[in-house]
Amino acid sequence: MFLDQRQGLALAMPAALFALLMFLVPVAMLLSEAFRSDGGWSLAAYFEFFSKPLNQTVFLRTLKLGVMVAGTAAVIGYAAAFCIVNLDAKARGQIFGLVVLPLMISPVARTYAWIVILGRTGIVNDALVGLGLTETPLRLLFTETAVFLGLLQLFLPLMIISLVSSMENIPRDVIPAARVLGANWLQVFVKVILPLTKEGLVIGGTLVFTGSLTAYITPAILGGSKVLMLETLLYQRVNVSNDFVSASVIAMILIVMSFSTNLLLKRIATARRS
Amino acid sequence: MKPFLTAALLATASVALVPAANAADKTLTISVYSFAQDAYKKALYDPFEEMCGCDLVVETGNSVERMAKIEANAAKPVIDMAVISSHDALALARKDLIADLDASKLSNMSKLYPSAQDPLGNGQAVGYTFYASSIVYRKDLVSIDSWADLLTNPKLANNVALPNITGTQGPLTLMMLNKANDQGGDFSKTISDIGKASDKIVTFYSRSSELAQLMNQEEVIAAPVGRFAWSRFKSSPLPFEWANPKEGQAGGMNVMIMTKGNGNEDLAYQFMDYWLSTEVQTRIAEALIDSPANMEVKVSDEVAENLTYGADLINSLNILPPSEIIDNRGKWVEQWNAEVIK
Repeated sequence: MFLDQRQGLALAMPAALFALLMFLVPVAMLLSEAFRSDGGWSLAAYFEFFSKPLNQTVFLRTLKLGVMVAGTAAVIGYAAAFCIVNLDAKARGQIFGLVVLPLMISPVARTYAWIVILGRTGIVNDALVGLGLTETPLRLLFTETAVFLGLLQLFLPLMIISLVSSMENIPRDVIPAARVLGANWLQVFVKVILPLTKEGLVIGGTLVFTGSLTAYITPAILGGSKVLMLETLLYQRVNVSNDFVSASVIAMILIVMSFSTNLLLKRIATARRS
Repeated sequence: MKPFLTAALLATASVALVPAANAADKTLTISVYSFAQDAYKKALYDPFEEMCGCDLVVETGNSVERMAKIEANAAKPVIDMAVISSHDALALARKDLIADLDASKLSNMSKLYPSAQDPLGNGQAVGYTFYASSIVYRKDLVSIDSWADLLTNPKLANNVALPNITGTQGPLTLMMLNKANDQGGDFSKTISDIGKASDKIVTFYSRSSELAQLMNQEEVIAAPVGRFAWSRFKSSPLPFEWANPKEGQAGGMNVMIMTKGNGNEDLAYQFMDYWLSTEVQTRIAEALIDSPANMEVKVSDEVAENLTYGADLINSLNILPPSEIIDNRGKWVEQWNAEVIK
């Protein structure tokens, strides 16, 4: 029934080769474009990319929104996950199902729903005008706020799922014990829940942050060309400007940001453990 | 098997294969815009295949993808003919990727409006459709008299969308704003004006379908757009109007080209000539796909309402020379990114 190492390697080889040839090789070839200049290797394309104010703005906006979405998702996610794991089994299944449900709906449909909510004739503006808080509808679409809300809604379920999984592993009597020993809720969270769920936070944080960096549809629909992010800029460079060198630079930046975030979060989790 | 039987079978098989080989030889690969392909099939592709006894292979995509494919296969073209914007055609011409056209092989050439007969001025392209570009607006909320209204009319602050500089409509809008403000053809001043007003512009759209959605959702009440998209607005329950600004309407042209050294020139000429014929241009116009470049095309007033139609209108269009777009686009995009998108 069990395989020895050689058999295991032999069986894993086709999938590994497929992934190598169909993904890693073309991606490496594409990314290498950005390191070529005058027939040699160079970082000139990166210096040129970051020398332009628009690119700097887009990079910082992408980083800022990624951090804000991941941070907000963590705060809301902890509250939601804590409630979910403390529900009885039936209610937990139902609420968890509601959290997962949006993941089964196309991101395009989920993003268009925000147009209904944030549009000039949408629910929010109708309420604001109806309550007399503003005379004319506010411009809510094509703003960073709209992109932030869209990304948060898109990726929050991933954070909740990760935190619920890790919170379910906390022994049920640990929190009451801390309370009995005099810890207030903030201390319970910081000294008990957070250390015991940091693996879930690392996974959830990585998924939400990298998802926010690489999402295309939501920034394109809710932000348009006025709220460019790296992913929408990349699309423009390939499909409008035919500028593959610049697109390769952006792709490499996204990859580096994703891996760096994962490493950073893991490092923080490991440091606190030791 | 006896030798004579083998020979007989081979001979029979050869005879059977000859028509197939001939059919395969008569294949024309064309590269076209993605829109309205079902309508094109009915009005153009199917009738042509029936007439020539050949196969059409239709490749679509956006302009950048299609041009990249032509460039990547320059040594051995996989595309025989293409239809693209006049400035994209010029870009390909400057890379020596398209062939000189032999006007004598296009019998319908003389039926085209003069400006469509040699739009690049080098004999390498022929126009097959015109499009006007003006401002669509909500006539119940605002009136538009000038292109300058887009940036100066207070009712349009936070209610107007402009085309992105990277799209076809972008440079046309720059040209008309420049003309309206008497800026003497210096688009850098116009781009700066748009940059100063950018906070009051809802968005810079890329596709007319995107704009139609925004206007039907009442996010935007006025925007420049090509006449080919007018039917999207005309059929809306909202009261949209096509503006006739005092500076006139902008215009553009899409053209046919043939790739250099494709080896399928005769069939490509046959197809291009068929597309330019009065019969086909009329069929395409009546299906509201493209406005005709053929002067002999006659359509009803109802159809004409949706098109860029008639000598008076076509001759009055403000057309930006393709060379001006190609020579300056990089500079415009750079300034646009710095001052408008920011």
